[in-house]
Amino acid sequence: MVVAAWICLVAPLAAALLITLLGTNLSRRGAGYIATASVLGSFTAAVVVLANLWSQSPEARSHPSTVWEWLTAGSFHVGLRILVDPLSVFMMLIVSGVGFLIVAYSIGYMEGDDEERRYFAYMALFVFSMLLLVQAGNLVILLAGWGLVGLSSYLLIGFWHDRPAAVAAAKKAFIMNAIGDATMALAFFLLIQHRQTLNFPDAFAVGPGHGWLVNLVALGLLGGAVAKSAQIPLQTWLPDAMEGPTPVSALIHAATMVTAGVYLIVRTHAVFEQAPRVEELAAGLGAGTLLVAGLIALVQTDIKRVIAYSTMSQIGYMFLGAGLGAYGNAMFHLMTHAFFKALLFLAAGVVIHALAGEQDIRKLAGVGRLLPVTRISFLIGSLALIGVPPLAGFFSKDSIIAAELARGWYGYVLFVAALIGTFLTGLYTWRLFLIVFTGEPSAFVREHLMGRSHAYGQEGAHVDDASPHGHERHEHKGEGPFWMMAPVLVLAVLSVIGGWIQFAPLWDPVSTWLDGVAPPLATPSGSQEAVASFLAVALGLAGIGIAYLIYGSRKLEAPRIAWAQTLLERKFYFDEAYDLAFYRPAVALAQSLTRWIEGPIIGGSIKELATGVREAGLGTGRLQTGLVRTYAFAIAASVAVITIVFVAVR
Amino acid sequence: MRGPDVAWYLGVAAFLFATGTLGVLLRRSPLIVLLSLEIMLNGGNLALITFSRLHGEAAGQIFALAVMAVAAAEVVVGLGLIVAIAQKRLDLDVDKLSFLRG
Repeated sequence: MVVAAWICLVAPLAAALLITLLGTNLSRRGAGYIATASVLGSFTAAVVVLANLWSQSPEARSHPSTVWEWLTAGSFHVGLRILVDPLSVFMMLIVSGVGFLIVAYSIGYMEGDDEERRYFAYMALFVFSMLLLVQAGNLVILLAGWGLVGLSSYLLIGFWHDRPAAVAAAKKAFIMNAIGDATMALAFFLLIQHRQTLNFPDAFAVGPGHGWLVNLVALGLLGGAVAKSAQIPLQTWLPDAMEGPTPVSALIHAATMVTAGVYLIVRTHAVFEQAPRVEELAAGLGAGTLLVAGLIALVQTDIKRVIAYSTMSQIGYMFLGAGLGAYGNAMFHLMTHAFFKALLFLAAGVVIHALAGEQDIRKLAGVGRLLPVTRISFLIGSLALIGVPPLAGFFSKDSIIAAELARGWYGYVLFVAALIGTFLTGLYTWRLFLIVFTGEPSAFVREHLMGRSHAYGQEGAHVDDASPHGHERHEHKGEGPFWMMAPVLVLAVLSVIGGWIQFAPLWDPVSTWLDGVAPPLATPSGSQEAVASFLAVALGLAGIGIAYLIYGSRKLEAPRIAWAQTLLERKFYFDEAYDLAFYRPAVALAQSLTRWIEGPIIGGSIKELATGVREAGLGTGRLQTGLVRTYAFAIAASVAVITIVFVAVR
Repeated sequence: MRGPDVAWYLGVAAFLFATGTLGVLLRRSPLIVLLSLEIMLNGGNLALITFSRLHGEAAGQIFALAVMAVAAAEVVVGLGLIVAIAQKRLDLDVDKLSFLRG
C-alpha cells in the first residue's frame, strides 16, 4: 500500500522529467498523453491506497514511510518521509482525480499552442508538487511541496510569457505566496525547536501550557494558509492569476494550490486547538473573505474573474469550517467544491475557446443557445455552487453553516455572515449564468459562431490580431473537441452526485473517515442542520430570484450607487492600499537612500579613495626620472649618509 | 702576517671603490659605466679578501669568487644591452636613454 502511495507521488514527476528530457523528440500530442496518463496513474494508485486503508481498523490507518534519511543528528532525523493516513488519501484522490480530468481537458484546449510540451511538463509538475504537499510526512517535505506549488503556479500563470500582464500576475502570485511561505517557515522553526522532531503527527502535538509559543506558531501557519488560499489580506493575487490558460485556473482553483491552506489547517489542527484565538481569527478571515469576494463578484465583467471570486468565497467557507473545528465538513466542501469549480472553469473554457479567447461577459452574452451541452454543464455547476439540493454544494456547504450554530455567540456572527454569503453566491452566480448563457446572442457571438469560418483563439487575443501563439483556424465541429467535452461531462455528473456520499447527520462517512486524523470540535445537531439548510437554500434561491428579476426578466433595475460600484470594481482598493502602504514607501526609502547615502557617502568615499591613490601615484611617478645616473647617485649618497650615521652613532 | 699592513689593503680597496663610484656617477657612456662598476666590484673583492686573511677564514675568499662569477654574468648582460642599443642606432649616452621616466 505504501508502494502505491509512492507511485502516486512520483508518477507526475516522472512524466514532467520525461517530457522535459525528450524535448522535440516527442510530439506535442504525445506530451499531453504522457502527462494525462501519469496523473491517471496517480489516481489509480490513490484508489489502491484508499481500498487498502479502508480495510484496516480505524486506529491502524496511519502509515509513515521513509525512503531516505537526508540528515541525522542524534535523535533528530530529516528524511524523505511520507505519511499515508485518511486525510492524505482524501487529498490525494481529489488532487489526482480532478487533476486528471483537467490535464485531459488541456489536450483539447491547448492544441496548436506553440509550447504545448512545456505546458504539459509544468502541469505534471504542478500535480506532483501538490501531491508532495498533501503526502508529506514531515515539516521539511511539507515546506518543499508548499514551495514547489508556488513555483509551479508561477510558471503556469506566466505561461504566456510574452504578455506583460501574465508575467506581472505570475510575479504577484509568487510574491504574495512568498510572504505566507516565510511566516510558515518561521512557524516550522519554532515548532522544530520546541518539539525536537519534524515528523507528523508528533511535531504538532504541542500540548497545553505554551501560550505565546503556540499562538506564534499558529499565526505563522495561518499566514501560510491565508496566502496560499487567497484569503484576506493576501487575496489580491488570485483574480490576477486568471491571466494563465483556463485549465491552469481550473487546476489552481479546484485540485491544487488554493485548497492547500485548508488542508494545512486541518493537518495542524492540534496546534490551532491550543491557540483558540488564532483559530477564531482564521474563521473570521474566512467569513470576511467570503463576503468581500461575493460582493466584488457582483460587478466583475470577466467570466473567469467572477468564477475566481467565487472560489475565494468558497474557500472562505472552508476556512470558516476549519477554523471552527468542523474539519470533516471543511474537507467535504473542499471535495465538492473541486468538482463544481473545475466544472465551471472548464465550461467557461469551452466558451472562451469557441469565441477566440474573448472573456468579457458582455461580449459573450447569449452564447448558450449555440453551446447547449456547455450551457447544461454550466447550469449544473452554478446550481451546485449555490447549494441547491440535491446537487453537491448543498450537502457540504450547509454542514459548514450548521457547524457555526454549535459554537456560541461568535458562531452566530459567522452564521449570519455565511448566510449573507449564500445570498450573494446565488446573486452573482445567476447573474453570470443569465448574461452569458441565456437571451439573444450578441453581435460578437453571432460573428464568431454563426459565420462561415470559426477560429479558436487564445484567451484575450482576438482573431484579427496576429496572435503569437496563434491557434490555427479550423472549422467548428460541435462544441469542442472530445478531449474538452468529456471531462466537462464527467465533472457535471460528479457535481450532481458528488455530494451524496455524505448527508449529515443521517449519513456521514466522510466525517467518520477523517475523525481519526482530526476529530471535530463542533458537530451540529440534526435540528441545527435542518435550520441551516433551510435558511441557506432559501437565501440562495432568493439570490437566484433577484438575479432573474434584474438580468433575466428585467423587471427590476439594478441599484446604481456610484461609490459602491466603484468600490467593488476597484476590489475594495486592496491593490491601491498595498501600493500605498508597501510599494511606495519602499521606493521612497530606496530613492532617499540613493540620494543621501549611496551618492554622497558610499560613492563619494570610493571616489575620494581613488583620487587619493591616483594623486599619490602621480607624485611618486615624478621621482622616476629615467636617468640611470640619478639613481646611482641616490644609492651612493644614501650609502654614504648611512655610513656616516653609523660611524657617528658608534 | 707578512707584507704591508691591513690598512693599506683597505685603503687601496676604498680607492678602487671610490674611483668606480665616481665613474658610474660622472661618465655618460654606458660602456664606461659598466667598466666602473667592475672596478667597484673589485674594490669590494679586495676588502673581502683582506678581512679573510685578517681573520684566517676562507669564507671571504669564497665570496670573492662568487662576486667574480656574478660580475662576469653581469658584463655579458650589460654588453649585450649595449650592442642592442648600438644596433638600434641610438645614442650611447645614459642620460639620453631615459625612456622609463615616470
